[in-house]
Amino acid sequence: MEFLTDSFMSAFVLLWGLDQELLQIIYVSLKVSSISTLVASMIGIPAGFFIAFGEFRGKRLLVTVLNTLLALPTVVVGLFVYAFISRRGIFGPWDLLYTQKAIVIGQVILIIPIVTTFTISAISRIDERYRKTAMTLGANALQTAWLIIREARFGIVAAVVAAYGRVIAEVGISMMLGGNAKGFTRTMTTAMALEYDKGEFVLGVALGIVLLAVSFGVNLCFNFMQGKARV
Amino acid sequence: MLYELRSLKKTYGERTVLDIGELSLAAGKVLGILGPNGAGKTTLLEILAFLQVPTSGELQFNGKKVDFSNNGLIQLRRKVVIVGQHPILFTATVSKNLEFPLGIRKLPKVNREKIIEELLDLVGMRPFQNSRAHRLSGGETQRVAIARALACSPEVILFDEPTANVDVENQIAIERIIQEINREKGISVIFTTHDMVQASRLADDTIFLYDGKTTHSTYENIFSGLIEVTEEGRKYCLVQKQLTLGVQTHQSGPVRIFIDPTLVKITSNQSEVAAENTFCGRLIQLTDEQSRIRALVDVGIPLSVLIPKEQFKNMCLSPGEAVCLTCPAESIKII
Repeated sequence: MEFLTDSFMSAFVLLWGLDQELLQIIYVSLKVSSISTLVASMIGIPAGFFIAFGEFRGKRLLVTVLNTLLALPTVVVGLFVYAFISRRGIFGPWDLLYTQKAIVIGQVILIIPIVTTFTISAISRIDERYRKTAMTLGANALQTAWLIIREARFGIVAAVVAAYGRVIAEVGISMMLGGNAKGFTRTMTTAMALEYDKGEFVLGVALGIVLLAVSFGVNLCFNFMQGKARV
Repeated sequence: MLYELRSLKKTYGERTVLDIGELSLAAGKVLGILGPNGAGKTTLLEILAFLQVPTSGELQFNGKKVDFSNNGLIQLRRKVVIVGQHPILFTATVSKNLEFPLGIRKLPKVNREKIIEELLDLVGMRPFQNSRAHRLSGGETQRVAIARALACSPEVILFDEPTANVDVENQIAIERIIQEINREKGISVIFTTHDMVQASRLADDTIFLYDGKTTHSTYENIFSGLIEVTEEGRKYCLVQKQLTLGVQTHQSGPVRIFIDPTLVKITSNQSEVAAENTFCGRLIQLTDEQSRIRALVDVGIPLSVLIPKEQFKNMCLSPGEAVCLTCPAESIKII
């Protein structure tokens, strides 16, 4: 027990002292996760919109597949992307492996289903009358789509927040595709795994506190959005 | 003509919800479309608003055939606006709701506020300009939706049951607004209702829609009935399990029966009770409708009768009085 309290105390000292290594790890984590979430949102939100409104064959199958992909294990994504970007893979010459870009690619694949399915759900809940009202007021297809996205904004933001929560806390993709290179691809979760392997808990605990704080903030945001949507 | 419809049909799968042979609607008027629930009124309005595509047939707007397959529909939609039965306001302030159609039409921002204020004054909602639209009552929502529709500067406004879900105060306000926008702004108004009194009060012309088809008769006095044969071989219709009406028809079994209110004879003389298809009951309502008086008589079922005003003056009828109704053969139609 004393060991745990000592680790916590030392962790707070590290955080208070704004340790450079700690800050670098936090920076890489937040940067990679933010880019991944941004890219996945740029793909997932329009995709969710078109799937929700589109009438095409295989729509239900596609939604079922997307729902299944919500439970995609990070190591599976890691392996899959590794097969493409490793030296022997077709994108091998691009030298992506063990870079932040590789982590972003893996994380984008991981969270696109989250953003898409949550967006489909948010858009589907929007009353059909919004579309008809926009059209009768003279809106073109783009203006109508924008209005519907605006009306579903709380649900869509919740989708983005949930996706961010998923990537900031994942370890498999960052480890397999980033390689945990100090100062380059070391994220909070990979650093914690490494510290655990070394039997060093101080940095691990400090990162755990930051990670929990970020997750708490993200979830606080998520709940706030949900609450707003109900008003 | 504002609209001309020819052989216009709308079907959903096997079900035909609209089947109009020929119909012309004149510009600059207030036109009422009367019909019971499920008659196809909303579908017709949405086709007239270019929001729904008819399955077959032709629709002309301002003398030009409407091509539902091309992108020109947006230009047409900017001339016609529909206010739904349960209008929806966007999640924003009342003012922002009115700004939406103005923004779409790229009106300079400096002019928008003045227009919004004028329109909110017209519908009596100026004090709510900065209120959240979702916090308004049903009647207030309807009035803001009308103001938002007017912001489109349309040639035609279509109202789907504009007062179906509002209280009397809002109903009076909405009816006043409908008359004002037609008289003062010259906007053609087409509205649906199942309230005959409202239709006669507001509309210059009225068309009746029943089961997707236009009809010359009013849709009132339509009941479900069962045609049976007596031992003597005479056919009668048991209307709503209340009234036995002698009929001449080849049909049998369950039917819909229409009793033309203009052909039913009303009398306070009880001696005619023995006559065929004569029923006595209590006069429960009298309504003034332009050149006629509508009398509603409870003869087991509520039956409407339209009496010319001249004839009514000589009859000295008053509500609560016992009266008899005679339904001649020509007044009864099996639908």
